[in-house]
Amino acid sequence: MSLAQGTILSGLGVGLNSSVGEVLVVKPQAPLPAWSKSSQSAADEKAALKQAIANVANTLDTLGERAGGTTAEIFEALKFLLEDEELFELAESNIDEGWTAGAGYGQAVDTFAELLGGDPDFDERVKDLQDLSKRVQADLAGIEMALTLPETGRIVLVGEDFSPADTAQFTKAVVGVITLKGGPTSHTAIICRSRSIPAVVSCGAAADLANGDTVLVDPVGDRVVTGGDESLATKAIEFVALNEDPVIPVRANIGTLADAQGASAETLAEGVGLFRTELLYLSAATAPTIDQQVASYSEILAAAPAGPIVVRTIDAGSDKPVPFLHMPHEENPSLGVRGFRLIQDHRQFIEDQLTSLEAARLATGREVWVMAPMIATVQEAKQFAELARGIGGYKVGVMVETPSIAAMVDQLEGVVDFVSIGTNDLSQYLFAADRMNPSLGALLNHWQPGLIRTLARIADGGKKAGISVGVCGESASDPAFAVVLAGLGISSVSVSKSQVTVVRNALSSLDLADCKEIANKVLAATSAEDAKAAALNALAKL
Amino acid sequence: MSVISLEVEVLDPIGLHARPASQIVKLVKESGLTITIGRPGEDFVKANSALMLMSLKIKTGEKLTLQFETEDAAVASDLHVQIQEFLKG
Repeated sequence: MSLAQGTILSGLGVGLNSSVGEVLVVKPQAPLPAWSKSSQSAADEKAALKQAIANVANTLDTLGERAGGTTAEIFEALKFLLEDEELFELAESNIDEGWTAGAGYGQAVDTFAELLGGDPDFDERVKDLQDLSKRVQADLAGIEMALTLPETGRIVLVGEDFSPADTAQFTKAVVGVITLKGGPTSHTAIICRSRSIPAVVSCGAAADLANGDTVLVDPVGDRVVTGGDESLATKAIEFVALNEDPVIPVRANIGTLADAQGASAETLAEGVGLFRTELLYLSAATAPTIDQQVASYSEILAAAPAGPIVVRTIDAGSDKPVPFLHMPHEENPSLGVRGFRLIQDHRQFIEDQLTSLEAARLATGREVWVMAPMIATVQEAKQFAELARGIGGYKVGVMVETPSIAAMVDQLEGVVDFVSIGTNDLSQYLFAADRMNPSLGALLNHWQPGLIRTLARIADGGKKAGISVGVCGESASDPAFAVVLAGLGISSVSVSKSQVTVVRNALSSLDLADCKEIANKVLAATSAEDAKAAALNALAKL
Repeated sequence: MSVISLEVEVLDPIGLHARPASQIVKLVKESGLTITIGRPGEDFVKANSALMLMSLKIKTGEKLTLQFETEDAAVASDLHVQIQEFLKG
């Protein structure tokens, strides 16, 4: 063991429960060997290639089975490319020229990539092919590409950061996650929160942990304790719901039919505060027809928990690619054509989406609110509101994610019915810190005073304009922070399904005057640590 | 072996992309026949590889010729109908 028992490693906690487990360090993958000529017979190389392709195909099958649904179809399609006959024949002819199996297959893939290249319709397939090529070459070289995690035991994964593909492979044995980099809004954090896996992110000192170390993952204490047991875990403030209803409504964030059903069956969420529609389109190769969209929306609206349902129009771009929109590569995609800006090139798609939502609203009789993401000016808000009001009878609003619109909320009177703050993106733009950059996690801590004061100004602007202001970012999933939001004058919060109950409990344990008092103490803080401590101290005294 | 030639039109709004290509290849393999495909007047490719089909970069609205190496016009016609269906998008 490299670290003394009881060593405390600081980071940013995700979740409210602690866990103890054995460290499993996930190392970045070793580089693939350079292509070379083979010293073996062509027949041996061909047999090895066949085996490697079969191994990768098996991995894809396993991943597909584990993921199920649409993701399984994606893996099925990948397998089809992997096992393409012409690709294999070309690889064989490269092997006949003396190359190793890995080199032969890699070159064959490059040949096809070149044939398909330069055509935006095939860019994604070329990337898929290159990824498959790497997997085959890694298998031949005996390099582990996929995370192979045990199914049993209690393991705490330690890594730089985990990709969405990695997190999809977390097994039941993963009881905790520690990342050296990656902030509270990283994919790892979002997945861990939604699956209730305790995590500590942005914990650089965890680089000294070794396989087999026992650690306590203590998200409430924002720390990891080596050799620690549950008795050392920082207790989350126990919120005892004193009132039947929370001081402000707690809604659920959803993206799929399963989310809508789960939120209805498992929580007391009052409607949906964020329905992310892009998830419906991520795997579609072509734009779905209006009929298809109406069918999906109707099903989801009907299944959603009782109360209003706030639907966000497509937020493609940046980290959310939607294949059929064929969005060009950008130097800084989060500062690029994304969210509502798609109207430049994809007006028809946005109009079709609004038309579909209106038909689904009429079909289900649900109260639907519709909002556009990435609004930066009052003019854009007007443009969206006019478009949406011309199409449907829903309430119309916009997301507040850019500092520019945050400063103009008081001017939205008569323009929109409501705004909703996406604190993840708002933090990214406020602090000029890319959400995807794992080194900048600390700036994206929602207790940062710069963010809290901005939220206070947005709430004031909403009050002046007479429009409601909700928060649907990850920050609202922190119950203590949800109390602060209510105190700042936010009128509703929307959180992931797994957090609805704890956030509701917190907001049902005190009255609005208490919330305001706590928010005022937090507003006086000048660092994220002080802001959090001020809130927790004030809550503890109640 | 005689060859039956039949024409299809690509109606899929993004052309002959991965999904229809894989559907065609699957069907062709199941049929056990040798089937080639291409633009009239250009080199044809065997329809046993989705990657080869995709590399033709066929766009919406293009007409393609399918050549079935078979004596059985009914079988060719049946496959032709199914392939046209895949290309509707």
